[in-house]
Amino acid sequence: MPITTTRRRLLAGSAAALALPAFARAQGAVKPRLTAISQWSAGSDGAAITALGKKFEEKGGIWQHSPVPGFTTEMMNKLRAQIIAGDPPACSQLKGPEIAAWSKIAPTVNLDALVAAAGYEKVVAPDLAKLHKPGGKWIALPLQIYSTNMLFLSKRALDKAKADKTPVTWADFNDLAEKMKAGGVTYPIANGGTRPDDGQKFEASFAGISPAAYRAAIMNLDKNALEGPEIRAAFAQTRKIADWMDPNVGAQPFATNLKRFVDGDMGIMIQGGWAQGVLRNAGFKFDDFIIVPGPSDNSKPVFLLNADAFIFWQRSEPDLQAGQTLMAQLVMDPAIQTMYSQITGSIPVRTDVDLSGEGWSDGQRRTAGALKDAVANNQAVLSLAHNMAQENGLTAAMIDVLTEYVKNKTIKPEQAVTRLAEAVEGAR
Amino acid sequence: MRDRTFAPSRMLIYLVVLLVAVAYLVPLIVVVLNSLRSNEEIAQTSMIGWPLRWAFGNYLTAWSDFCVAQTCAGIRPYMLNSALVTIPATIFSTLLGAVAGYAVSLWRFRGDQWIYGIVTLGIFLPQQMRLLPWTIVLRDMGLMNTLTGLVMIHTIQGLSFTVLFCRNYYVSVPQELIRAARIDGAGFFRIFWRIILPLSPPILVVTVIWQFTHIWNEFLYGVTFTTGQQQPVTAALIALSAAVADIPQNGVQSAAVMIAALPTLLIYLIGGKYFVRGLTAGAVK
Amino acid sequence: MPGVVRRLPEHLTIWVPLLLSAAHLVSFSLWTIWISFTPSTLVPVSGWVGLRNYTAVMATRNWKIAFDNLLLFGSAFVLLSLVAGLVLAILLDQRIRGENALRSIFLYPLAVSFVVTGTVWSWLLNPGLGIQKLVQDLGWTSFRFDWLVDRDMAIWTIVIAAIWQSSGFAMALFLAGLRSVDADLVKAAQIDGAGPIRMYRRVILPTLWPITITVIVIQLQFAISTFDLVRALTNGGPGLATQLPALVVYDLMFQRGLLGRGAAAAVLMLLILLAVLLPYAAWRYLQRRRASHA
Repeated sequence: MPITTTRRRLLAGSAAALALPAFARAQGAVKPRLTAISQWSAGSDGAAITALGKKFEEKGGIWQHSPVPGFTTEMMNKLRAQIIAGDPPACSQLKGPEIAAWSKIAPTVNLDALVAAAGYEKVVAPDLAKLHKPGGKWIALPLQIYSTNMLFLSKRALDKAKADKTPVTWADFNDLAEKMKAGGVTYPIANGGTRPDDGQKFEASFAGISPAAYRAAIMNLDKNALEGPEIRAAFAQTRKIADWMDPNVGAQPFATNLKRFVDGDMGIMIQGGWAQGVLRNAGFKFDDFIIVPGPSDNSKPVFLLNADAFIFWQRSEPDLQAGQTLMAQLVMDPAIQTMYSQITGSIPVRTDVDLSGEGWSDGQRRTAGALKDAVANNQAVLSLAHNMAQENGLTAAMIDVLTEYVKNKTIKPEQAVTRLAEAVEGAR
Repeated sequence: MRDRTFAPSRMLIYLVVLLVAVAYLVPLIVVVLNSLRSNEEIAQTSMIGWPLRWAFGNYLTAWSDFCVAQTCAGIRPYMLNSALVTIPATIFSTLLGAVAGYAVSLWRFRGDQWIYGIVTLGIFLPQQMRLLPWTIVLRDMGLMNTLTGLVMIHTIQGLSFTVLFCRNYYVSVPQELIRAARIDGAGFFRIFWRIILPLSPPILVVTVIWQFTHIWNEFLYGVTFTTGQQQPVTAALIALSAAVADIPQNGVQSAAVMIAALPTLLIYLIGGKYFVRGLTAGAVK
Repeated sequence: MPGVVRRLPEHLTIWVPLLLSAAHLVSFSLWTIWISFTPSTLVPVSGWVGLRNYTAVMATRNWKIAFDNLLLFGSAFVLLSLVAGLVLAILLDQRIRGENALRSIFLYPLAVSFVVTGTVWSWLLNPGLGIQKLVQDLGWTSFRFDWLVDRDMAIWTIVIAAIWQSSGFAMALFLAGLRSVDADLVKAAQIDGAGPIRMYRRVILPTLWPITITVIVIQLQFAISTFDLVRALTNGGPGLATQLPALVVYDLMFQRGLLGRGAAAAVLMLLILLAVLLPYAAWRYLQRRRASHA
């Protein structure tokens, strides 16, 4: 094994040496141009990618971003159509294991030389880096990170519960929820009812109970772990969460409940950092809520990684190639990542960005701190609900089980364990 | 049966009809009210409610200001794109459908029933299933990311409906009319022009309404087969609706919905009268 | 020969559009059938996996639920929208005032994008946001209307929204039919002393038969292709309770990146359709033969 790795590295290194002058030449000769596809069209997502485009133009490039509004599926439809037509965009939004899957249907750009030149690999969480270099070569670059299991605590609900500290373990969490309920908070949990939202409730429970078991079961699909005691406990915890929710939520997104959350009629959201941006855009203040890392039974932070990324598709036009080089450099640039995350509420991919300055919230600082600790303790795992742990087909088959479980209280945790294992078997 | 007295039974009719009408109007009322509330007000109070402060500015934002990524021109350019696809596709599919429906119903030729059967089966073939084959066709014709490609798709797909509507309408035109005209020496086009077309306004209104609204409201092909600046109005509407990572801009979105629905609503308001009246006039017995 | 040349323009105008339309339908269907037997995932690839895609789709809960839902939703929606359209048409046909305005009100839902109407209905039918909350706030605190979040009843919320959306079209077609009923027939029946109910049952409704067929066909295609509405209203939930075949096909093909399985689901959907249409076609054929023999 080690020998192969070394040889691959050597090969990559020589390819990089060859590639570098070509990139440099291309950039010198023509005006860089970038065709890009993403679903980021509105709100803070739209604002962030537009700001990135401005930077691209400031560097002398031509920015041709074509947003595909709607669900990720529509964005992928567009990408698929362009690939079938033999006209892929120079770069497009894609994430998680889909990067490896899609890289098999059309040639991608080897970014190793650029990544090496920027010293980027050293500052990216290892599990994350792996997703962006299927086959050992960098072909995609992560842009921003969220943790899907952050706790958003309503200040007013905390007051009602007379709680003096934030929860660390699931026992603390359950205790707090009970206190809230007793203190007059109608529904201690404020989550929405979309499919990813239901998945998040489960993955937060599972990873918080045992990140090792989560890694084995959800990321590596280990059969024993998929039927082990930890996953059963995770389903039991998920049921508690579901019971504390408003049964009327239906398929509404979490944003529908923001006012009741801030008012203290609902207590806790298990959400990613994007919820901070949504709360702020809706006109609520930082004093209205606290953001802390999700519950972890061994008291060390567990980080459920969700990262947005760009994949780079091979193009023969010199201006597009120059545009890809410029885009790659920008995406890896700490200043650009800072700008991007400050708009969306995420944290930078680079672990060496200082978040102590102005423009960062306490929630973002805690998220970044949690990432550092989680990586150090090997407790940073990939999110299932947000398509980071498995390819979309398998993810969706698993979420089918999770959403039914959350919405149907007659399903026992044991049954859910069996169903999930069956769904994995059926989808493989 | 058809007198104009206000007997209790007539009052009952009015009551039922009015109640149903109110129920039908509720969703529209909700959208109209939301179009006059600010995004923040909706997020901070509730999805359904009376405006606390009238936010007429939503309409201006929706029409010419809001951003879809880097393009901040409101819904206006997207309305134009939709019109450029919808109007030609509606005209082509309606005219071709009328001629084909006339041929199949009154002219009769070998294999007509077969081909009619296959074409009308097309109304049952789901759009989602045709997405990839159309991708390949567009690629081979070099029409990817062109409005021409979309017009072609909607014209060909629309034929299934227009032929169905027109054929079912023309079957009730008496064959003797055609026979007499042929004896007088009139040909295929002459009969269509002189006899059939003057009988057709009601059914043409039906097909135009149907085609126009369906193409105008179409989203899947609209975003897959266009790029950036050519996207249809539905794409801009979706961009404003709830994204996972963002607050739904319900106020501006509702205003945009109202503006985007104006052409189709107008078509229904004007057309609805004609197609019922046209049939009533006794053109067809 | 000169006859053929002289008639070339008319042949072209008749055949070119019809053949293009038929050709795309036949070739697209054959293509989908072919894909359903291949191991295609993100993009179409060749290969042969036999019936594996079919067995895999039919083994999923999604498909079983979607199939049952289609039968329930399809029959309930077609029947109820037919009745709603007919009743509204008959009521409007009573020479009432404000007919134009009322007709527009019943028709307007079809003018608005399904994505939008689905979203609005998801607010109205949501017990915490819409009708239930409104009625409770007005003082009737025990009022319940929570079908949207009830697994057993959720499919009926789709029936409601779909009927709202499309019954106006049925009404318009029926109204047009009622208005073209031969006045002499009606008069003759009146002279015979027929009351209004008898008049409708015996004289007027039988003449609406062809229009009813058109309405059924249109509503049936609406039921089978219902997609945007469900996606915006329930997105297949709560859980998987409101899955429909069109949703499953799209989901497999494009969201899950399993083209082969999605194509298999699409073919299964077409088979369901044939199972409905073939008996009708056979019945029509027999009827026509009987008519031509008579």
